[in-house]
Amino acid sequence: MISVYYFGAIALVLVGLYGVLVKKNLMKILISLSIMETGVNLLLISIGYVSGKSAPILSEGVKWNQAVDPIPQALVLTAIVIGVATTAMALSAAILIYEKYGTLNVEEIRRLRG
Amino acid sequence: MNGQYASLLIALPLISAFFVPLIKGLGRKVVMAYLVLITALQTAIAGWVANEVYSTGKPIIVMAGGWKPPVGINLYIGHFAALFVLIIAVISFFMAFFSFKAVTVEPVDKYAMLFLLLMLGATGMIVTGDIFNLFVFMEITSITAYALTAYNKTGEAAEASMKYIVLGGIGSSFFLIGVALIYGATGTLNMAHLAQLAGAIDPTVAQVGLALIIFGLAVEAELFPLNAWAPDAYQAAPHPITVMFSALVVKAGLYAIARLLYILQNANGWSGVLKLVIIMATLTVVVAEFSALRQKDVKRMIAYSSISQVGMIAFALALGTQAGVDAGVFHMVNHAIVKALLFLTVGYVGVALGGTAIENFRGLGKRMPLTALTLTIGSLAAVGIPLFNIFWSKVRILLAGVEAGYSWSVALILGASVVEAVYYLRLIHTMWFVEGGERVRENFVIGVIALFLAALIIAIGVYPNDIWTIVQKAGQDVFNVANYIKNVPLMGVGA
Repeated sequence: MISVYYFGAIALVLVGLYGVLVKKNLMKILISLSIMETGVNLLLISIGYVSGKSAPILSEGVKWNQAVDPIPQALVLTAIVIGVATTAMALSAAILIYEKYGTLNVEEIRRLRG
Repeated sequence: MNGQYASLLIALPLISAFFVPLIKGLGRKVVMAYLVLITALQTAIAGWVANEVYSTGKPIIVMAGGWKPPVGINLYIGHFAALFVLIIAVISFFMAFFSFKAVTVEPVDKYAMLFLLLMLGATGMIVTGDIFNLFVFMEITSITAYALTAYNKTGEAAEASMKYIVLGGIGSSFFLIGVALIYGATGTLNMAHLAQLAGAIDPTVAQVGLALIIFGLAVEAELFPLNAWAPDAYQAAPHPITVMFSALVVKAGLYAIARLLYILQNANGWSGVLKLVIIMATLTVVVAEFSALRQKDVKRMIAYSSISQVGMIAFALALGTQAGVDAGVFHMVNHAIVKALLFLTVGYVGVALGGTAIENFRGLGKRMPLTALTLTIGSLAAVGIPLFNIFWSKVRILLAGVEAGYSWSVALILGASVVEAVYYLRLIHTMWFVEGGERVRENFVIGVIALFLAALIIAIGVYPNDIWTIVQKAGQDVFNVANYIKNVPLMGVGA
């Protein structure tokens, strides 16, 4: 039986991918991209989960061998920041596109061709 | 000197990028001069590193924070990385000069900062020895590339950038899923450690993980189904950035593909992934060559030509033989030089005459003789005519392909090369045998850079053996994984 965490994370990735492929509105595409990134981050976190262990912070009452895998958490922290940066960049490009084209429909944004 | 100083290759562009906002009040000239200075320094460091690696024959391993791998992140500057870090630095140095002339849109301080970060990202991708660190450097490269594509602030630039962002976002998500799968199966992110453990990975996980990673990197490396952003971005980006894209960003992506492929070569189901890359690469060559044929804009035409060459490199790197990898690396070097020259001259024509449409190239031989001459040399080299450098690497790639048993693929690539000759000769014909326009004064510095690159093309074309010995060492660095593992001082964990 596949774990519900893995299933949920991959489902989020697929939902995001579906949105990117099918939606016509640029903002919806960017939202789908964010959903996809969230799914990836959840997958990374769930790979590091060890059943029944606590957060990897050394404090009283928690020994070093009672923590979940701390590495994916570092990876996700990085990946979240990268995702936000990409989204910010994409949104500023979307603003520019709306100024120049007057639309956010991807089928009408077609000045480059060949 | 201590090899750990090689970490300056990463540190210098990073810290210099942070200083750009402090000097932006001093004006445009100062910022540009600063850019030239930093890239010159980077070239000096890269030259020292390359000299060190090639004279001792041993790679430089930089251990971040003094932690031994696989606990800490290590940088692996072997023969390949040393060579390409030098190429990256030299091309960036030339493009810093070109930026003086070509970048007139404000704000120039942001341009300088992004330029340095792009150089940093490409360097980092090539030197890193850690798979997640590779992801981070790839994101630095691609986010700066998104921003620089949109730098001109026209509708076309924003559109091209948006395409790149969406594809790049999907690609990086796939890459991260691949990393997650490989990490879940092995528990390590260090490449040398991964190579040791590769044989023990479950074949399905290895195949899916590797395929996802290749798909993610293929966005940066412009392989067929994922390269739709590339011609648009090349066309809309500022001219020096176009050179950076084709000479560094793509190279870094290709190298990362090759490195990760060979790192995991002991994994079961590995050869299936190789076949996938071969098919993608062959399709890249064919589709790009035929798209280039019907372009009206010269910059876009050369962009497609660049993509097709990249396909050829990917083909060679995925053959799975030593000869193929050597030939692929040789082609990477040659392609970096030739495409830098082509985009430089075409971009300069665009700056001087206001646009890169084919009409602007009429009678260029009389109007801008030096530019036209170097552009002709570059075009002839790109077609692969003997006595120019690409001839040798193309021949070696095709021979290696036949040897590895991919005759169908070689035949398709050869057929596509004929198409390449057609559109380059059409460009040369327009430049020299069609009348038009007045004489334009040419810039001295850009002329010198173009002549230097052209001379390099002919020098390698006439004496290919010197560079071939260097390239063979670099190829072994990628192909010979046993040696790679031996060189990285792994702490005794896990394995």
